[in-house]
Amino acid sequence: MRKIRILLADDHKLIRGGLRLLVEQQPDLTVVGEANDGRETVSLAKSLKPDVIVMDIGMPNLNGIEAALQITQANPEISMVMLSMHSDESYVLRALKSGAKGYLLKDSAESDLIKAVHAVAEGKSFFSPAVSKVLLDDYVRKLKRSGAEDAYDLLTPREREILQLVAEGKSNKDVANLLNLSVYTVETHRSNIMEKLNLRGIPELILFAVRRGIIS
Amino acid sequence: MPALSESADPALPRTSREADPESQRHSKQLRRLLLISFSWLLALLIVAGVDALLAVRRLDRASQEVSRRFTTRNHALAVIIVSVRVYDDQIERFLLQDQVKGSAPDPADVTKQIAVVRAALLGFPLDRDPDEQLLLAAMQQQLEEEETSCALVLAWRADLRQQRAYQFIGQQLIPWRTRIFELSSQISSLDEHKLALENLAVATRFQMLESRLVWLVSLALIAGVLISLVCGLYILRLERQARQRYQALARSRLELEGLSARLVEAQEEERRSISRELHDEVGQSLGALLVEVGQLSKLVSPDDRVTQVQITHIKSIAESAVKSIRDIALLLRPPMLDDLGLIPALEWQAREISRRSDMEVEVHSQSVSEDLGDETKVTIYRLVQEALNNAATHSSAKNAKVAVAQASDKITVEITDDGHGFDPERKRGMGILGMEERVRRFGGTLAIDSSPGKGTTVRAELPFHSEDSPQSGHAPATHQP
Repeated sequence: MRKIRILLADDHKLIRGGLRLLVEQQPDLTVVGEANDGRETVSLAKSLKPDVIVMDIGMPNLNGIEAALQITQANPEISMVMLSMHSDESYVLRALKSGAKGYLLKDSAESDLIKAVHAVAEGKSFFSPAVSKVLLDDYVRKLKRSGAEDAYDLLTPREREILQLVAEGKSNKDVANLLNLSVYTVETHRSNIMEKLNLRGIPELILFAVRRGIIS
Repeated sequence: MPALSESADPALPRTSREADPESQRHSKQLRRLLLISFSWLLALLIVAGVDALLAVRRLDRASQEVSRRFTTRNHALAVIIVSVRVYDDQIERFLLQDQVKGSAPDPADVTKQIAVVRAALLGFPLDRDPDEQLLLAAMQQQLEEEETSCALVLAWRADLRQQRAYQFIGQQLIPWRTRIFELSSQISSLDEHKLALENLAVATRFQMLESRLVWLVSLALIAGVLISLVCGLYILRLERQARQRYQALARSRLELEGLSARLVEAQEEERRSISRELHDEVGQSLGALLVEVGQLSKLVSPDDRVTQVQITHIKSIAESAVKSIRDIALLLRPPMLDDLGLIPALEWQAREISRRSDMEVEVHSQSVSEDLGDETKVTIYRLVQEALNNAATHSSAKNAKVAVAQASDKITVEITDDGHGFDPERKRGMGILGMEERVRRFGGTLAIDSSPGKGTTVRAELPFHSEDSPQSGHAPATHQP
């Protein structure tokens, strides 16, 4: 069986050591390199071509988000898990926009890292449960205070189905095949969803799905 | 929130506030000197004026006196001549009363006339000079002689008169008369001569007055010019001093601004470094500790309940320490500014305040570029932070709105809440001062619009330069979680 090759990027040796320990306890995972800052991560990603990069958002010389943007452009096949201390949606959204599929809080790295690596290696998203909770709390509080209605309630069952599939990383074609619809119909549904939920782009859609616990 | 409370205004620099006592004494002396000079000049002008006035009056009186003397003398002389002529005429008519028809004068009248003549002679002014006196004496002597002869003639009877009348007239009366005229014309010419002399004296005195006036006026003029010169110099000196003082003031004001700018800068730098220190050193160590503790709990058998509980306890302590450290670090220097840019950082802040308080905050942005300079980002971030914290803590607002709009030359930031407001004229805490300082130092303007019961709007306009960070040397920090 082919092992999942992982690049660890964090500017703190202690953290990298802990992460390596976690990863190497798994028989199907292997660490192929360690990077100390954003630039090193970008160049190692090019030379080592790992399957997954586990990367700290805050690093010197190019932060994690900028590094992720460059890696997504140069090697879009590499999946990335961002490590962060912040559960705020500003960070989650920026991480998603930079091309990362997983978002892990450092506090829960120890328990969730393995799950996250496996999920993104399969092309799925992964978010720390605590992130979903914070996002949902913010959303609910805002709705309650403003008295607005939950946009999710406006969606039809079919639209909710499509929202979940798109958020999970499926392309329009995949969705069309799964649901036995034409690509054109899927596209129409998608744009209706975006309009009803007032979203701009896939990262916001994924964020919405995470918030509502549709994906994790 | 500890933000901004340290930006107290530093004491004014003491330099150049008071002029040194040396120059002050100097100025006092100069002022006294000028005062004295002015008094002297004024006194000089008054003296010259009064003197000239008195001299002119004196001259006028003297000139009047001269002409009066001349006139009285002329008059007296005329009276003498006329009376002598009348007397002669009476004598002549008396002598010729037999040959020529007409009324003969009474000898008594003739005698009376001689008294008139004598009175006329006495009537000549008494202030006579020796020449005049001599001529008058000659005239008197002749008249006395004539009187004596005439007293005899008046006693003549008709026959004697007929015989000797012509002879007397031709030999006595006519020469006398001629002589009297000669004498009187001599006196007259003497008087005229004197008049000319006295007029000359008056003219001389007038010239003297003139030259004295010229002298005094010149003196006053010179003194005036001198005083004006001194005054001019004094004014120039004052002007120079005023300019120097103004420059010193402007300089110290500039220094003050620089000082408070450095203060804000130092504060920001300090916060950033403490935040980084806390986060990087303490935070990361605690993070690593958590990972290790997680490993440990896996190594210990799940059946060892006591150890497992102990490990869980250690973990929760470490977690709460991580959380505190993170909160402090975030407050000191939110890494969002460096990691995400201004608007996401403001959104984060808005959500953070919404979570912590009863106030819901919304952020609206309009064409705000992502590569704003560090100075701009920090200024706007701290401004919004201060305004939102004020609103959340003091105004019991339910909603707040942050609007950031970027135009070609400026960025406008507006923070509005629906709280109970305050009177910005009366209540100005350190927070507002801090906001003002930050905005002013950036060359922008800050306006606070609020009144009790009306909510508050804080509006700042910052001049915008695409690549700013004007004087600060912050390294663009990308070093966070």
